[in-house]
Amino acid sequence: MASISIRNIVKRYGSFTVIPDLNLEIADHEFVVFVGPSGCGKSTLLRIIAGLEPISSGELYIGDNRVNGVPAAQRDIAMVFQDYALYPHMRVYENMSFALELRGTPKAEIDARVKRAAALLHIEPYLDRKPKELSGGQRQRVAMGRAIVRNPKAFLFDEPLSNLDAKLRGQVRAEIKALSQQLKTTMVFVTHDQIEAMTMADRIVVMQSGTVQQYDTPEAVYERPSNQFVAGFIGSPAMNFFPVELRGEQIVFSQDGTDVPLDAKSRDLLRKAGHGVFGIRPEHFSVTADAAGAVAVTVRLVEPLGSDTLIHFDLAGASAIARVDPSLRPKVGDRLNLRPQPGRAHLFDGSNGQVLR
Amino acid sequence: MTDAPITDAWIRRLNLLQLVVAGIIVLTPTLWMVLSSLKPSFEVTAYPPTLIFAPTLENYAQLTKTTPFLSYAINSLIVTIGSTALGLLFGIPAAFAVSWTRISWPAILTLAARMAPGTLFLLPWYVMFRQVGMIGSYTALILSHAVITLPIVIWVLLPSFDGIPRSVFEAAQVDGCSVTRILWRIALPLVASGVAVASILAFVFSWNYFLFALVLSNGDSKTLIAAAFNFIGEGSTQWGALMAAATLIALPPLILAALVQRWLVSGLTLGAVKG
Repeated sequence: MASISIRNIVKRYGSFTVIPDLNLEIADHEFVVFVGPSGCGKSTLLRIIAGLEPISSGELYIGDNRVNGVPAAQRDIAMVFQDYALYPHMRVYENMSFALELRGTPKAEIDARVKRAAALLHIEPYLDRKPKELSGGQRQRVAMGRAIVRNPKAFLFDEPLSNLDAKLRGQVRAEIKALSQQLKTTMVFVTHDQIEAMTMADRIVVMQSGTVQQYDTPEAVYERPSNQFVAGFIGSPAMNFFPVELRGEQIVFSQDGTDVPLDAKSRDLLRKAGHGVFGIRPEHFSVTADAAGAVAVTVRLVEPLGSDTLIHFDLAGASAIARVDPSLRPKVGDRLNLRPQPGRAHLFDGSNGQVLR
Repeated sequence: MTDAPITDAWIRRLNLLQLVVAGIIVLTPTLWMVLSSLKPSFEVTAYPPTLIFAPTLENYAQLTKTTPFLSYAINSLIVTIGSTALGLLFGIPAAFAVSWTRISWPAILTLAARMAPGTLFLLPWYVMFRQVGMIGSYTALILSHAVITLPIVIWVLLPSFDGIPRSVFEAAQVDGCSVTRILWRIALPLVASGVAVASILAFVFSWNYFLFALVLSNGDSKTLIAAAFNFIGEGSTQWGALMAAATLIALPPLILAALVQRWLVSGLTLGAVKG
């Protein structure tokens, strides 16, 4: 068990820089999720921690040890791969015991550890099987079992749920979360799925183009995104954005000049920035009979989800979504007054996308 | 729609024609050789050739009586097994290293060496081996035949190693394996069929190789294929014995190929490991 400290890490492939300069502190026992779009450098960063990619410059510490140049084999970390990477010629038991055998662990202890991990992951009946005889979910568990038996300093997960079907993904996600609480080991989990990030992490690292956009708790990332990228990436459906500007003392939509129902504080913020982007999540609209402080929209599309209903509409030249109570039963063509819930709107700087606070 | 069955039928006919032509090209000399080895010596060169004859083993008897055939066979086995083993010993780590590092020029270099005419190597080798007194030794023959076996091993195994998902090697690294251990504990068991194919191909090519043995061997180390050449004499070629020798020489590669036919095909076409 150990903390992980990433200090001014740079990663280049030839002249192409994947990670320009990254700093990150992961506390002991913490479950941190790296999330971001494809190509943002999250898997590269994980592989750097694992020792599978050399660092171009900067320093990496696992616990108190500087591990720059230390081979993966000597870092005492365990990793679960996207394709599970089980040894095809070994049985499940051998897959799980292999690392312990390499370390010269006594046979009785290997046996005890493998059986304990197998019980924890409910894979005892498969110990004598080869990986090809297992389902995707079972292989995934074996891959986790292989990591668990080692009792490593940290667990690294590289998109381990992406090959599972939706139902199994939800189940395994919950199991990994429960496991992390049980094992109390530092865990770093890479995903492009923001739901996985939100549900599992103690803290989320939102990445884009090799840089950390925000590093905070799931609640903070959702409630107080530091910039427009984070605001748009976290949350599903994504946050609605509308370019706005100040005309006189009134905030208006840049596209059509109609009033934006925002408060005086927003006006002050926008005055400093000049122009901005008004952001609001679909679930933060309230449907109201009163037109005051609301925007009037025409329903373009209705998506009933059961628990709630998504309505699509166009506002100030942008396509937008609101999540409303299903009992409203809106229909295409209906006129609705949507009011942003107090304190839930976000205002971003129009030039650099940073949140205006 | 109506054209499809006609086209299919024509494709089948053309396939059959191809098979027949290929069969005639490959099998006619082989059958000729085997049948001639069983004919009385006066009938071997008879014209028109006799197709119905009383088979005899006299050519085989003459072969073993007049030549140290068994010694030649043992020489061939020593050189072939030695050069195949040498090819595997260096070829397996070399193929793995090329696959691991993704630096392909060493593999291309060995391929170029394999494609170059044997005479390119023969002269320098002859001079070198003569200077160190190794002409006629098994070592000289085994080393020279490694030029044949090494590229085969590398090029048969390269796609097999490439076919193993990279993440399997990385998982082994994280588990605590050194690169050498990854080769022996993870990669090699996964390319076992590739190794079998490479071994057989290396064996066959080395067994059949004629030029190096002809020049670098002596009476004691002559291999079968080089010895068989001696049957072609000045004006009095022993065709029957030559055919018997050729039949016996062709047997080991044919038996090996038949035994591992399934592996051979899958090893050559797939070269990959399914997880």
